[in-house]
Order: sequence, then C-alpha cells, then structure tokens
Amino acid sequence: MTDDPDDRILRLNAALDSELDAMSALEFERELASDPALAADYRRLEALRRAIRRSAPLEAAPPALADRVAALAPPSPRSTRVFPAPRRRLPAARPFALAASMAAIGLAVGAGVMSLRTQNAAQGVAQALVSDFAQAEIAGQPYAIASSDRHTVKPWLASRTTVSAAIVDLANQGFPLAGGRVAVVDRIPAPTLVYRHGEHMVAVTELPPDAQGVRGGGAIETVDGYHVARWSDANLAYVAVSDMDEKTLAEFVAAFREARKPTAEERR
Amino acid sequence: MTGSAPGPVAGERFRALVPPLIDDAYTLAKWICRDPADAEDIVQEAALRALRALETTSVERPKAWFLAIVRNAAITWMARNRPKDVSYAGDAADLDALDPRLGEAAPDPEAALIALEDGERLRQAIAALPAALRETLVMRDVHGLSYRDIAEAIGAPVGTVMSRLARARGALAKMLKTEP
Repeated sequence: MTDDPDDRILRLNAALDSELDAMSALEFERELASDPALAADYRRLEALRRAIRRSAPLEAAPPALADRVAALAPPSPRSTRVFPAPRRRLPAARPFALAASMAAIGLAVGAGVMSLRTQNAAQGVAQALVSDFAQAEIAGQPYAIASSDRHTVKPWLASRTTVSAAIVDLANQGFPLAGGRVAVVDRIPAPTLVYRHGEHMVAVTELPPDAQGVRGGGAIETVDGYHVARWSDANLAYVAVSDMDEKTLAEFVAAFREARKPTAEERR
Repeated sequence: MTGSAPGPVAGERFRALVPPLIDDAYTLAKWICRDPADAEDIVQEAALRALRALETTSVERPKAWFLAIVRNAAITWMARNRPKDVSYAGDAADLDALDPRLGEAAPDPEAALIALEDGERLRQAIAALPAALRETLVMRDVHGLSYRDIAEAIGAPVGTVMSRLARARGALAKMLKTEP
C-alpha cells in the first residue's frame, strides 16, 4: 500500500493489535501472503508480544492494599441491593445470643429461626452472586487472577479469603480452570473459581457450610437469566452461577462434585 | 472529600468497579513508577479519585476508565515526589529519535529466541524504555487496552499511540538483540 517504512511498520503493529479496519485488514492479509519479508517481521513482532505477555503478567496487588481500597467505600449495613442477607439476620442474632449460655435451647431457637429464613436468605445469596457474576462479566473481568494453574490460583485466593478454596481442575471434563476471584457474600470474602466452557463461564463460590441460604436441593434455578446450582459436601457449601444452559451446568456440577469428593484426611 | 463518607450510589458503583481492577491498577502503577511501595500509594490515590468521580459519573468501560485515572494519578504523584524523574513533557524530541523499525533480523535467530525466553531481561528492557513509550506499551500489551482507550488515557491522538507503540516494540527488539 505504501513504501514509507514508517507507515509500513505502523500498519504492521496495528495489524498485530487487530486495530486495522476490515478493508485494511484484508489487504494486509494479502500482502502478508505475498511478501516474505513482511511476514517475517510480523512473526518477530508476534513473538515479541507473546514474550512480553508472558514475562510481564498482571501482578496481584498486596492484600493490604486491596483492603485499604475496599475500606474507602465500605458496604452500608442497610444496603438492600447487593447484600440483602445481613439485614434479615440482624434481628435474629439477639435471641440466639441470649440463649447461647444454654446451648440446647440456643440451638433449638437458632434452628427454628433458620428454617423460617432459609427461603429468603437463599434468594439473597443467589441474587448477590448473580449480580456479582453479571458485574464481573460486564466489567470484562470474570476473574481477578487469570490462570489455568491451580497452584497459582490457590495461594492468591488463600491470601484474600477465610474459606480454604478447594481447587480442582476439570479440563479433562471440558471445563478448564480460567481463574479465580473473590465474591463478597454477607460481607464475607468468599473464594470463587471461574471455569470456562467454550464461550461460557461458570463461577463456583465456596462458602462455609453454615452460611445462610446456601443449602440447595440440587435443582437448578434461574435468577435474572443466569442459572444457579447449589450443593454442599462435608466441608463446604457451593453456589455455582453460569451463563451456560441448564444441562451443561448440571454436567459441570456432577464433574465438580466427583472431583471434589473429600478425602478421608479432609474429613478430619 | 477525604474523610467524608461516599454517597450510596458512588459507594455501590465503586464496589462493583474498582476492587476487580485492583491488580490491573497495581501492575500499571508499578510499571510507570518502577517501585512497589510508590505503586501502592498511587493506586490508593487513584481509588480515591475514582470514588470522587463516581459521585457524578457512571462508567461504560471500567477498565479503560480506571486505568486512565491510575495513569494520571501516577503522573501527578511522580511530579510531586520525583520531579527529576518525570520525563513525560520534555521527551517528545527524544521519542522521535527512536526508530520504530525492528532493525535487521538477528544474525542468529536462535539467540533472538533465547533472549525472548529470558523474562528478567525482557522486564529490564521494558523498564528501560522512556516513560511515554513504556506506559503505552504496558497499557496495550499487559492490560489489553485499545488504541482509542490509550489515546484517551494519555490525552494524545491515536496516531501518537500508534507511533509510540511501534517505537517501543522496535526499541525492545533492538535491546534484546544487542545487549548481552
């Protein structure tokens, strides 16, 4: 198109960055096919960019920094949109605390209150996690640490959350690990693993087994157009949110549960 | 407004938007100022600016928006704390002197490949780029911002972004080839 060496190199870079318009891109493809020197330069640039991406990955911010930043806008306890569960829990906490010295009675009261609230709290957790999923998707940040290596994801999550993340690789089952992030449920940071399936994502959030509203019957629900599955094992409760179809999500859950069968050691 | 509580809308926008981008922010700040402790200060300052802006703004492309704030917070921070180190304003002429071309192919392609495999050497080469080239390269290749996003962040035309990017890559290619 042009003989100016500067223009040529600018176009080479723009092509590499997918910043050429459709016509120019087509033309560039043709030139690439007929000009071995251009093709060689293109390959060198590509190799350089690959190396840059590999050598200069995103660095995890120090957890203390993340905490300081989060503290700039702490969630309001009366916030109704993202964290509905704590609002409901507050009035119930008092009778539970009063009865705490009498363990048996305390337990009975607590259990009764819990079953009354389960339905609402369950909706709250699902809703919060669906909002979280949608926001992460819209922000183009489905995970805060991108890695298919569970030995990278685990320490990252461990430094930011209190639940120990159970990380399994499901690449062989068609759901490669894509990364991890932290979801906030009831104002508690909870480790969330993001798996990929083609164009779709599924985010599994791990919660303490006694967290409000995480017990589910195994049926898949639909919340705001996303599918939600809930289950628990001996150690943890899980909530999976996905934009996959119901059947695929069910397959994912089955694969995850199979892979996560607690070992005897973990049952403690 | 340091010290005053954010409005509920700004707070909610902030919580949805900023924490997921904290690693991006830290990485960019660190590449610009080349010091981890300073990068933390810069990110904190940027987060505060973002929170302030979110009182009145809703954001379409959060990553580009927040990274632009981080970049500008880094520039002010450097001007205040390390005035000698800031070369953004004065180095336009130096930049033009940098050749965007990749140079002749390495006589030994094997050696060139090995140089690319050496992550530490590549990081040092990036850190040695002039500031204006380095920030452009990092925004593009580390953070994946588009030319348009970068142009908005650095307040320059897209043509400038293209030429800085080409110069940065050209300089890296040469550094990796010539330095031992």
